Amino acid sequence: MSDALDCRGVCLRYRAGVPVLTDVDLAVAPGEVVALLGPSGSGKTTLLHAVAGFVAPAGGEIRLGGRTVSTARRCTPPERRRVGMVFQSYALWPHLTVLDTVAYPLRRRGVGGAAARTRAHELLAGVGLADLAGRRPAELSGGQQQRVGLARALAAQPDLFLFDEPTAHLDAHLRGVVLAEVAAQRAAAGAAALYATHDAGEALAVADRVAILYGGRLVQVGTPADVYARPAGPAVARLTGPVSVLAAPARAAGPGLVSVRIGTVSVTVPGEPGGRILVRPDWAGLGGDLPGRVAAVRFAGPHTDYELSTPAGDLLIRESGPPRLPAGGTTTWTLRRLWPAGDGTA
Amino acid sequence: MLIAALVGLLVVLPLAGLVRVAAGGGLAGIARALAAPQSVRATVHTIALAAVVTALAVPGGAALALGVERQEPRRRRVLRPVVASGLIVPEFVLGFGWTQAYGPAGLTDRLAGIPLPGLYGPAGIVLVLATHAVPLAYLVVTAGLAVRADVDLHRAARASGAGRWAALRTITLPLLRVPLLAASALVFASVVNSFAVPQLLGTPAGFATMSTLVYQDLNLSADPAAFTDLTVVALAMVLLVLVAVAPAEVWLGAVRTRPPNLDPPVPAGSGRLVTAAVWAFATLTVGLPVLAVLLAALTRAPGLAPVPANWTLANFADAFAGETGAALARSLWLAAAAALLVPALGGLLAGLRGRLAGRPLVLAVTLSYAVPGSALAVGVAIGYGRWLAGTALIILVAYLAKFWILGYLPVRAALDRLSAEPVRAARVSGAGPATTLATVVLPPLRTALASAAALAFLFAFHELTMSSILYGPGSQTLAVVVLNQRELGNIGTTSALAVVLTVPVCLAAAVLLPRRGRT
Repeated sequence: MSDALDCRGVCLRYRAGVPVLTDVDLAVAPGEVVALLGPSGSGKTTLLHAVAGFVAPAGGEIRLGGRTVSTARRCTPPERRRVGMVFQSYALWPHLTVLDTVAYPLRRRGVGGAAARTRAHELLAGVGLADLAGRRPAELSGGQQQRVGLARALAAQPDLFLFDEPTAHLDAHLRGVVLAEVAAQRAAAGAAALYATHDAGEALAVADRVAILYGGRLVQVGTPADVYARPAGPAVARLTGPVSVLAAPARAAGPGLVSVRIGTVSVTVPGEPGGRILVRPDWAGLGGDLPGRVAAVRFAGPHTDYELSTPAGDLLIRESGPPRLPAGGTTTWTLRRLWPAGDGTA
Repeated sequence: MLIAALVGLLVVLPLAGLVRVAAGGGLAGIARALAAPQSVRATVHTIALAAVVTALAVPGGAALALGVERQEPRRRRVLRPVVASGLIVPEFVLGFGWTQAYGPAGLTDRLAGIPLPGLYGPAGIVLVLATHAVPLAYLVVTAGLAVRADVDLHRAARASGAGRWAALRTITLPLLRVPLLAASALVFASVVNSFAVPQLLGTPAGFATMSTLVYQDLNLSADPAAFTDLTVVALAMVLLVLVAVAPAEVWLGAVRTRPPNLDPPVPAGSGRLVTAAVWAFATLTVGLPVLAVLLAALTRAPGLAPVPANWTLANFADAFAGETGAALARSLWLAAAAALLVPALGGLLAGLRGRLAGRPLVLAVTLSYAVPGSALAVGVAIGYGRWLAGTALIILVAYLAKFWILGYLPVRAALDRLSAEPVRAARVSGAGPATTLATVVLPPLRTALASAAALAFLFAFHELTMSSILYGPGSQTLAVVVLNQRELGNIGTTSALAVVLTVPVCLAAAVLLPRRGRT
């Protein structure tokens, strides 16, 4: 079976400008969810727009389910691509009721009015909005609006969902609720999805694989665990979660082991050799042989963050439970593993 | 209090005077005036013209707006002023330019032997007014597109399986219903208001509208009864405009807007086609007529070919031989006074925003803008004629009444964007009320005040309808002198003066347009 989405060497530039996308190669298997993770301005939305057919790539090609839809010369219009899109701005039509909005994709495919409305009712019941069918978008909260947007995308029965930061305009609590709804509905529909976000937690939580877009280029593609544990560079590491960069060279000390010297103490831990090292907050712990000073302590409920000043630079350590140390004193710590920071900018 | 008094003086007094004189003959008098054959004919002509022009210009303006606004930003920046160019040229110059470009013995007649048939008469009036109204409709629909038809709404429809036309029919046009209605009302009112083009193209063919009828009765008849009759016609014009504009006001007031999405637009595949259409439209409707006026101004005599061998500046010398220099100076100081006073009046009225007393005052000022110039001028003549008849001051009163709203709208829009927080932040940072006004409130309003001043200057400088009714011996404005030269049949001097009338306007627009682009 062909991939739900296959981008090959996609390049895109707005006229007179810097390239927005450069040589993007990305495949999404049927039923797979790929998170497109990148800072704002990295080209996430542009890539989604190219896949949806709102912009034409300047080079390369895009295939949907084996069908070529975009080349530099030919571009299938959006309405013939069978993708379902959920927008950051919700993009609900102010003059249509919730029911008509969800029925819209069905009507465009020639389903009769009554049948389309019946199906729209089912979809709305599925996202818990059955009793709001007669409302207009202005009468809904942000979370409700985005669930209508989700139901509309589901109504198209697409082979590929495109999510453009669907939770970006929601507050923290609603974000979790809508994210869960999106994930559950996507899974039930069984279709593949490309999920753009700048939030590391969201990307790692929803995706089978994470594709990291930086400056219009894909710099790393891998499973969530992989990009978290083995980021391609400091920028990717920061995008995929909290991280500290220490100025301490790691030297090979056996298969899969490196030795690193911090201050006067050397330790041997799992990792790869490199000039500077990356340390995730859960890769180090309080107590042990390495020296440090507690610069700040932040209690966050389930866990506590400790900001340490070490001879190799500032280090973040996260431990469960309430604070065990006051800020300002000296302490010791343990390094359990590390990953080299690489030399590239990404 | 001050503002209420000013509204009373500038708006209520003239309109009340108009009503008083019109009702002077009782119901029977009104009925007689309205039933007079020439009134009936002029009324029917006016309504028919307004309806046809609206039916042509609004779809045209909407099509241009959809074509231009969905282009990439760079192309849009070039095309916008091209579309709007028709608004920059005074209506009189545009109408006169059409006669010089497409009329008998005009450019196309001379070059190809093809004069435009029916240019003098209803067909010509419809054509010129429609091309003048297209940019107006374009601007209103463009504003509507920006705040109502977010590009994502169009994209969502396309992704949901709607083709280009289905998306237009089911999403974009329904979203634009209110701007389209507003554009229709505006175009309809502007046609009722229009005087220069019907006077230029209709009067020679014996085709009268309400505005030309009022002008003619006032200029040609000394009979007091005829004056009462013409006030009735003027009042009927007011009612006609109110019928068109009032519902639009209600609709516009009821609709909430939201800030526009500043996304890059959908790059439409038809960019070249749209560009070509826009340039062709502007060239045919504005470029060629203005060029024809310029050539006629430079050519020694009307019959000669407009080639360099026949060029001369004598027309300009002739044009300024008599009263014209004084009229130009008068027009300039009237426009300068309007540019100074209109933003001040507008700022005062905008300062009332949120207060209950403000609403009826804003409504009165909106009304006095919508009222056709002919009717307002007759009202001003009744209200102030006793003291100011035949002076330039009475013309200034009419300008202030008519253009007050032009000062109010930009300042209010700027005030709306100004949230209370910067003011609070300034106060918390230690600024007193006066310092806050000077350092935080006024600087963001500077652009709005400047564009209000520029608009007032432009409108006042090429105002013809009211000036042609209110002027007396020794108080002609430049536009009136141009009209009179045209009525005397002096093509060369008319052209020369038309050029003089257009140049300051174009200069001001050249300064204003880039500034608009940035904000």
